[in-house]
Amino acid sequence: MILDEKFFDKFGVEYSPDEIIFCEFEPGNEFYFIQSGRVKIVKLINNREKTLDILSDGDVFGEMAILEEEPRSATIIAADHVRLLKFHRDNFDALLQGNPQLAYKLLVIFSKRIYDAKRRLMILLLDEPQLKVMDVLNMLSEQDPQLDLQDEISLPVTVEDVASWAGMAVEDAQKELTHLSRLDKIEILNDRILVRNIRDFQRVVSTRRKNMYS
Amino acid sequence: MTNGAAGSPGIRARTYKSGSIIYFENDKSEYIYILKSGRVVLTSIKPDTGEEVKDDVRQGEFFGVKSSLGKYPREETAQTIGETVVLIMNLSDFERLILKNVNVVRKMLRVFSNQLRRIVKMNRSVLGESDTIKPDYELYRIGEYYYNAGMPNRAQYALKRYMEYYPDGEYARDVMDKIHSIDSGEAPTGEMNIPAQAPAPAPGRIVSDDSDLSDFSLDVEPEGESQTSGFDASGDESISSEMDDFLSDDSIGDNLDDFSFDENTGGGQKTYIVELYNDAADLMEQNSYSEALELLDQILQSVDQKNPDEQKCFENALYQSGLCQLNLGNRKEAFAAFGRVIKDFPQSDFAKNSLYNIAGIFEAANQRDKALAYYTRVLNMPPKDDISQQAFSRIKKLQNG
Repeated sequence: MILDEKFFDKFGVEYSPDEIIFCEFEPGNEFYFIQSGRVKIVKLINNREKTLDILSDGDVFGEMAILEEEPRSATIIAADHVRLLKFHRDNFDALLQGNPQLAYKLLVIFSKRIYDAKRRLMILLLDEPQLKVMDVLNMLSEQDPQLDLQDEISLPVTVEDVASWAGMAVEDAQKELTHLSRLDKIEILNDRILVRNIRDFQRVVSTRRKNMYS
Repeated sequence: MTNGAAGSPGIRARTYKSGSIIYFENDKSEYIYILKSGRVVLTSIKPDTGEEVKDDVRQGEFFGVKSSLGKYPREETAQTIGETVVLIMNLSDFERLILKNVNVVRKMLRVFSNQLRRIVKMNRSVLGESDTIKPDYELYRIGEYYYNAGMPNRAQYALKRYMEYYPDGEYARDVMDKIHSIDSGEAPTGEMNIPAQAPAPAPGRIVSDDSDLSDFSLDVEPEGESQTSGFDASGDESISSEMDDFLSDDSIGDNLDDFSFDENTGGGQKTYIVELYNDAADLMEQNSYSEALELLDQILQSVDQKNPDEQKCFENALYQSGLCQLNLGNRKEAFAAFGRVIKDFPQSDFAKNSLYNIAGIFEAANQRDKALAYYTRVLNMPPKDDISQQAFSRIKKLQNG
């Protein structure tokens, strides 16, 4: 959803490629709408800069600042020339009154983020590295409704991504993935992982989850 | 989301017999519900303990919202107890409904945002990150990373922000040196240098200490409260609870049939005290604890304790003032408030929470034995609920630590 351009006079800000919009851990009081252009969400993980996502026009970021001040959870960097609308928390009510559509959109965004965070927690709470890696693949398969889960599936994910989702060191994730690959359960390519039978992984993980607390 | 505007059946009421399942966990559906009359219990599994959690939906409250909006499977099973009437709507009905009432949306956003925070916090703690986050140090570290990585512009941004927020911070000198070196063009550029070993966070402040204290206000909110409570939309839901814990609107109970969401149609009966209490609750949600405390003190001074309703308000206000003090770092005052709840109102719904908070205060003060004694009292206090569970895990932690 692109907000009315009339807002731009009052709330518009522009950034050049590679400029930081805000930095992880700085206090956050504003949230942003992308009117045009793209931004990168990055985080320093194990002393390396990692891009988590790219957002483009119609997207919202910094929304955790809507209700209270909280350190930013990631750094946002302009990927090209971007035009943004920047709203302070104090303007939120006025903005909502004038743009109820926006409110609906925010509810959807929060619903999704809550689910994603919970899903990640489910992975992290598994007690074996092997299961964590399998469940990362399960999670990724759930995110793409186009996939035919009866068949071999291809997930656009690297070993580093899997490690980061599973909260593991890259070497450990590599070890587990290599093991699965030796059993011919998966095939590791440069930029993707092929899973022969994801249903298999789903069964293994869900059985373990059921038994974990009994 | 405009489809179905004409052909949509619209919001309709459906009556369920006792024991009916409205939906099962893992079902996929776009329907959203409001409980009109009867009882609905949501059963979910806590991800961290595997424990089954049951939550009652309050009348006038939405349920099934998040999974419908996010288009993911239901995370809980909804079952009726006794003959029950619910209003059913699809996403476009829901959208139309809430567009007319921004207040409902604001409440929902608040609840969602609290839930998200809590889950993110759990993720961090599982990853072992929770006790180590010091924003000033982290901001410094980011500046340093970009500095060493030969990205002076990014480094400059983080370093300048550091100086803006923490001009007297413990890394300020090093930060200024780096800013000057970037300004004079001496900073590393181009190729990636191996980042220097960052200094460990200074031991002066006990970070976990603070986070423990703030935990109390998040996790030990009162369970379902009396009608006078203003905490409908505050954080009393457990982490796994899928109950979309907000009331549809004050007015909806009275106006279910015409779905009027105009403000102020149903209420108007609120006494001055309850209003004060609600205002305090709002302020607490905004972390304005000092201001909330002032209102709570007014309540404590003006309540007629012989009136049972007002006495309830007094108990609540006393407990909440303890929470405010805790959040303001005034442990002694918090202790006094919680102690009074336990002593004067042992039957109060907040007695257990108060015991737990006192245990936490002792724990934060490194008085392990006293903390253990109070956590044990919590544990021995029926019913076995979330707080018991939390007390149990604190005891285990203290005994192992």
